[in-house]
Amino acid sequence: MRMRSRLLPGLLVLGLAVASIVPSADAQKRGGTLTIVRPTDPVSLDPNLETTAPGAWVYFNMLEGLLTLDDKMQVKPLLATSYEVMSPTKVRFKLRPNVKFHDGTPFNAAAVKFTFDRALRGTPPARWASLAGSLDGAEVVDDLTVDVVTKEPYGPILRTLAMYCMGIVSPTAVQKQGADFSRAPVGTGPFKFVEWKTNTHVIIERNNDYWGDKALLDRVIFKVVPEEGARMIALQTGDADMVLFPSPAQLPALRKDSKFTVHETTGIRVVFAGFHAGMPPLDDVRVRQALLHAVDRKAILDNIMEGSAGPARGVLAPGVFGYKDMQLDKLYPFDRAKAKALLTQAGWTPGPDGIMVKGGQRLSLSWLAARGRYPKDGEITEAIQAMFKDVGVEAKVQVLEWAAVFQQVRANPFNHHMFTLGWVTSNADADYSLYALFHSKQVPPTGWNTSRYANPRVDTLVEQARRSLNQTEREKLYGEVQDILAKEMVWIPVYTTKEIIVTRSSVKGFHIHPVEYNLALWKTSVEK
Amino acid sequence: MLTFVVRRLLLAIPVLLGVVFVVMLTIDLLPGDAVTLMLGEHATKDAVAKLREHLGLDKPFAVRYLDYVARVARGDLGRSIQQNRPVAAELADAWPATLELTVAALLIAAAFGIAAGVASAVWPNSLFDALARLGSLFGLSMPIFWTGLVLIVIFSLWLNWLPVGGAGSLSHLVLPAVTLALPSVAMLARMTRSAVLDVLREDYVRTARAKGVGEILVLARHALRNAFIPIVTLLGLQSGQLMGGAVLTETVFAWPGLGRLMVKAIFARDYVLLQGAVLVFALAFVIINLLVDLSYGLLDPRVARQG
Repeated sequence: MRMRSRLLPGLLVLGLAVASIVPSADAQKRGGTLTIVRPTDPVSLDPNLETTAPGAWVYFNMLEGLLTLDDKMQVKPLLATSYEVMSPTKVRFKLRPNVKFHDGTPFNAAAVKFTFDRALRGTPPARWASLAGSLDGAEVVDDLTVDVVTKEPYGPILRTLAMYCMGIVSPTAVQKQGADFSRAPVGTGPFKFVEWKTNTHVIIERNNDYWGDKALLDRVIFKVVPEEGARMIALQTGDADMVLFPSPAQLPALRKDSKFTVHETTGIRVVFAGFHAGMPPLDDVRVRQALLHAVDRKAILDNIMEGSAGPARGVLAPGVFGYKDMQLDKLYPFDRAKAKALLTQAGWTPGPDGIMVKGGQRLSLSWLAARGRYPKDGEITEAIQAMFKDVGVEAKVQVLEWAAVFQQVRANPFNHHMFTLGWVTSNADADYSLYALFHSKQVPPTGWNTSRYANPRVDTLVEQARRSLNQTEREKLYGEVQDILAKEMVWIPVYTTKEIIVTRSSVKGFHIHPVEYNLALWKTSVEK
Repeated sequence: MLTFVVRRLLLAIPVLLGVVFVVMLTIDLLPGDAVTLMLGEHATKDAVAKLREHLGLDKPFAVRYLDYVARVARGDLGRSIQQNRPVAAELADAWPATLELTVAALLIAAAFGIAAGVASAVWPNSLFDALARLGSLFGLSMPIFWTGLVLIVIFSLWLNWLPVGGAGSLSHLVLPAVTLALPSVAMLARMTRSAVLDVLREDYVRTARAKGVGEILVLARHALRNAFIPIVTLLGLQSGQLMGGAVLTETVFAWPGLGRLMVKAIFARDYVLLQGAVLVFALAFVIINLLVDLSYGLLDPRVARQG
């Protein structure tokens, strides 16, 4: 059944042309070694076993997927050149011809099928299987054509395939190397693997047979330096050219120093104070809105985050597909009088100790938070607690270790009014967040609707958007969801994370990506 | 002698069994488990269950303990939960670095600690003695991670003499070894001082001096040899301390050893890897203690005769 004419106007071509390097004002030199220091060694260099940053930073430069996200968060072709929606559960990809894996074997449709089979049907399945939603596998059509199949119509399929961990691996190498593949992966990327000395360094070098523009650097050395202070000293002495996870306290000084460049961009994680909307008194939308008015979010950004985070304009980060500015500053400006008025409307009156009361009940909220899971999570929780007090709301904060908080928020029932959490839209598609966080059937332990939010209209919209492969339509549906959420607010969005990397100023051509894992080094060079 | 060694090594077996039991129980009691940490916030219930089953984490504690012991008895340390790599390979990568660091630190501690202690004892209450005692107080009180960072700032950032961290050449070894050795230098200096002072007050020392033996010979033949028993005991204890301190030193100096491996395993709740590392440490302790006991026989013929 061909549905492309109904779903999409004709054939969508992502673009075949490989942009040739535009010589920039300061022409970059080929050659040189880039030394990077970061806190931890990878778990593995195989996406099947590793989806966290220490491994992803390395393999992102060696393995390539069918699609990728550029630093403007747009889907771009990589190993695929074009796609065509065949049916709601099948997307056909034309593959790039004459591409070879680092071991010399050809990249083709069979390799795509092999990679997906290995990840989705292996025992156990790949660590990223949970991130891939309905992805079911791939079918070979001919040597350079492959059908990607989903279990049900799945709108986020393109951004799923563009995730950092979807790199296609060489079937020959996997079969030959067995378990050792996870320490020396073979892909098609601009860099290839050289050496991994556990807890010391990983070295990759330029792939001179790369199908596209070849990387500028000869080599990249990823060193492990666990101690933050020692990492910053290594940058200063020149032992390192690039620091991942720099010390936030030193950023203001580094920004002023011409020897260093601070690269920063808005990330894709939103950190928020969540409400349990099913638990009185937070089931009353006026109380929730009052609490939003009570919080001076700008003061938190300026005084606690000190430039290391961006404002949260909604429940999604701006780089995510489907994001809509929820206009929170306009809808819920910091206004204590407004907050108190809303509480009065909801029947609360000031009690003897300044805390609001209604029917003999004090307006007291229990709040679960961890410290150190997200930047300054403990501090922002305490700041909001103090701001609540100014409008007559008491918050009793319980701070526990992250693993313990995690266990409680994943449980049903959840016995706190509030919780401090962060959420990253891993595949950069609104579905990933709006479905899992706000669909009424996604209450833990199934999903992440920790707010116990239930609105049949939102349920319909997110289901419809998930099943549609028309991206314009999806964007509109998600816009409506965010409009509804803006009225019913079950979170106080506090900040959007920033990705920050510091290099010595001799490092040229490096562009930081909103997705932490996408550390692209092939356009980077070092002048020494 | 040989039966003594064999008996001591056999006694190590229950010790190691106990160590494994305690470590495994501790990890089990900690909130959070390896699988949820591995799969992250976004894992589906199904994925978590499948991986738990694959790793055998769904089995009860007793079964897992016995499984593990049975495997170790066959010489198989298992595969690390996180990396899916043989634990033996992970340990083989890491232990030479820790051995290198601890031995270097032990040599520094022995050389400087004992020399300073003897000098203090020979010239008690002198300026040198006062300085040495002050220095010891400092060395004992400063936490390793702090001294480590201070040394990095001085020798790497300001003077640019030594690398910030990592392993490879002898110059990489200097700072971590010195940092690790400092508390032991202090401890040994104080211990040696009091041990030598005690011996110097003994009758046989006075006799030796009375019959005209030179002061150096008195020290070397009569005083030191007798003072060495408590010193060697302390050295044995200190090497245990040094292995513990290696966890911190390795972190500050990015030294790729067993300490770092253990920290990593604890944060990932990777009990298989952690137990492998702990077993190596425990075995090292047993061997060091055995060597200390054997050395008593060399130092004091009376011990040897009792067998």
